Amino acid sequence: MFDDLGPLWLSLKVATAATAGVAALGVPAAMALARLRFPGKGLAAGVLALPLVLPPTVVGYLLLQVVGRRAWLGEWLERTLGVALVFHWSGAVLAAAVTAFPLFLLPARGAFEAVDPRLEDAARLLGRGEASVFLAVTLPLAWRGLAAGLVLAFARALGDFGATMMVAGDIPGLTQTASLAIYDAVEVGDSRRAAGLALGVSSLSVAALVIAQRTLPGREARP
Amino acid sequence: MSVDERPTILDARVARRVHAGLTVDATIRLGDEIGVLFGPSGAGKSTLLRLIAGLERPDGGRVSLAGATLYDAARGIDAPLRERRVGMIFQDDLLFPHLDVAGNVGFGLKGASRSERARRVEEVAALCGVSSLLGRSVGTLSGGERQRVGLARALAPRPRLLLCDEPVSALDLPGRRRLLERLRGARRAEGIPILYVTHSPAEAITLGTRLFLLEAGRVVAEGSPADVLASAGDRSALRHMEGIRNAFGGTVAEHAPDGEWSRVTLDGGPSLIVAPVGLPPGSRVDVEVAGDEVMLAVGPIAGLSARNQIEGRVEAVAVHGREAEVVVRVGETRWLASTLASTPASLGVAPGRAVTLIVKARSVRVEPAGG
Repeated sequence: MFDDLGPLWLSLKVATAATAGVAALGVPAAMALARLRFPGKGLAAGVLALPLVLPPTVVGYLLLQVVGRRAWLGEWLERTLGVALVFHWSGAVLAAAVTAFPLFLLPARGAFEAVDPRLEDAARLLGRGEASVFLAVTLPLAWRGLAAGLVLAFARALGDFGATMMVAGDIPGLTQTASLAIYDAVEVGDSRRAAGLALGVSSLSVAALVIAQRTLPGREARP
Repeated sequence: MSVDERPTILDARVARRVHAGLTVDATIRLGDEIGVLFGPSGAGKSTLLRLIAGLERPDGGRVSLAGATLYDAARGIDAPLRERRVGMIFQDDLLFPHLDVAGNVGFGLKGASRSERARRVEEVAALCGVSSLLGRSVGTLSGGERQRVGLARALAPRPRLLLCDEPVSALDLPGRRRLLERLRGARRAEGIPILYVTHSPAEAITLGTRLFLLEAGRVVAEGSPADVLASAGDRSALRHMEGIRNAFGGTVAEHAPDGEWSRVTLDGGPSLIVAPVGLPPGSRVDVEVAGDEVMLAVGPIAGLSARNQIEGRVEAVAVHGREAEVVVRVGETRWLASTLASTPASLGVAPGRAVTLIVKARSVRVEPAGG
């Protein structure tokens, strides 16, 4: 049944890298939206949530306008760093990360907002600097919400089809993730392969959910 | 009572327009003593505390603590919270829910070595009566225990000033008494000024050596508690005083052979005959007597139905409006007897005078000691 693990392996790689990217940019973004007041905050929150409401192919199309080989950023990347995102697996990572980003951002922002800022003040009065307050108070108290967001983002990144197709294309062995491979298998009538890949990618999503639930600490008892 | 002997440690003048109806503008000078910020709700007491702590930024003024300038609008100084060395305890204790008691108490000792940290945690835990709780999760603590853990946490990094924002208002009377005892002990042990916010007249009269009466953001009177209350007269802060209750810790001493009464010995104070208590001798109890139910006489009285006549000495007389509170020291306990405003004068009761407190057995409430 799993005679062809390539697409599954690529999906896992892409989704993991995309989730890491989402966490790296999403934690500061969620913290800024939860704690800071700045002009244009509503607009920023709206733009960051856009991939949630736009069709994935539209997200992919817009990404192409930015990182495509003729687009300004894509051209610059290729010229200075020698990196081409289009038709490369890193393009699939970018597409998956952008579509998954709001699924992390929204629960993460909620989790940070739920941390009582007075607890952070108490920590500062006890001599802690900003980084220490974040690591010792804010992050542990927001952890459950952040982890839930990471699981959602990972599952979304694992399943992306439209945006990946637009940015990275559907090149077997190079950018063909499990979702794309399932589509191709159905197209050519290979239902055995389609079923195997579908089972495989579903197992990965369920596994992520189970691991997250197992590793999260139990709810703190509060009076 | 003289209040001007101690050298100034905290010297703060802060001003801030909170909203259209309230501008806080107050000067607080405090030595190694407990200062009480007293006033009605909405007077700006908590705001003033937060301005001194640095939790809110003043519009102007200057705060210096033990020679260090924490804030100076004119010189553009505003020390970050972590460098201020100001400890604080809060109305809702703000313990860290994800840490156990030891983790909370040791939170401010990050720079210390492991052994130094453990030693200091033990030390302040003993001072605050939470040594037996160190391994517990904070979710399992009672309200009084949580506040004492909060006190230990604030004291651990050796602050130069302790601010208390109505820390006992959510506690029952025995819990209040226990925290205030620990607070007095902490001031003696650590030798730091404490600024304590309350709207409870009983706390204002008995807790501190210096009282600041705050109204509409300004200090309208300052001095010894009795003097301030007397000078405040019929001010709004005092017109609706809650009933004052005396609270003590004690031990059941004995029961009458026929079970008619029990005798309870107060910690550092007198024994009281009380209504029968269903606890064996030696049991720890919390004891309460309403200030209204403590009668005052200038000497022992013969032929009286009340079972308790207690000899003591007047410490202070606080007249406020149509009422007065007479503060009487009996051994190490301090009693408040509530009377009409003219009563102390007509009896010739003044500080230093020996008096007899009269308390009926039925007026004493005894409960098993709680957490």
